[in-house]
Amino acid sequence: MPVQVEDLVEAPQLCLVDTGSTANRFGAWLAEATGVDLSGAPETTLNIGGVTTLARHARAELTIASMRYDAPVSFCDPWPFAFNLLGLEGFLRFFRVTLCAAEDWLEVEPERST
Amino acid sequence: MAPFTISGQQFQLERAEVERCLVNVLPDPVHEHYVVVRGRRFPPKQVLSCVTGLDRADFTTHQARRILKRLGFVAARAHREEVSDRRAETDTRDGKGSQETRQADALRPYLGQWVALAGPTEVLVAADRPEEVLAWLARHERRATYGMFRVPASAVEAEGGAPT
Repeated sequence: MPVQVEDLVEAPQLCLVDTGSTANRFGAWLAEATGVDLSGAPETTLNIGGVTTLARHARAELTIASMRYDAPVSFCDPWPFAFNLLGLEGFLRFFRVTLCAAEDWLEVEPERST
Repeated sequence: MAPFTISGQQFQLERAEVERCLVNVLPDPVHEHYVVVRGRRFPPKQVLSCVTGLDRADFTTHQARRILKRLGFVAARAHREEVSDRRAETDTRDGKGSQETRQADALRPYLGQWVALAGPTEVLVAADRPEEVLAWLARHERRATYGMFRVPASAVEAEGGAPT
């Protein structure tokens, strides 16, 4: 799913909806590219997909399905994956997601309460 | 080494030199004509300007094409790809599997690189670092309508290390 990070309109980032992830996990380069300040951000070492990475926790404005919202994001370095992850706290609690793997589609609708 | 006269100046050019010149250069957007240099599509004028140091206004696209073709580079028009991209989006007879195959084929040359897509198979730019892709998009005021991502070079990069 393409996600606009902050004001990076010209380059929506490809993200994977990960129902098993508690938070959004993005490559750290995105924080620098979009001007998200990570200085003093709390850090955690995480193991994701077989990779140990340093996650710095911050907030970023994301735009998905025409809805812009303020989301918690863990910016990770290293991040060797081809995609970023959309998880529970920073994504699924804001949207209602219907997916059909058999037909290869996914529908996203903002929650009415958000 | 072949001699060419461009804008009243003499140049000795060879294919290998052109390829060397463009190793660290990202292709500008292709509007109509392009030449293929080491698997990447460049506007002919960008290539010739890069190699000769001449301003792009000093020669025409057709001159650049002619010279680069004489050096053995493939030159073509871009509109065929756009047509095929539109077909990929709308043609339901072939089914989704066929569209995915076309996309995989289009992305295969960019394994491990960051790409920005304007269509399912239309790669606007590819680079080793995401910052280079963003800079290119900003410089050329282009938008990656189909998203920006790194083309996975392995199954682990595509799927992570989760058990299957």
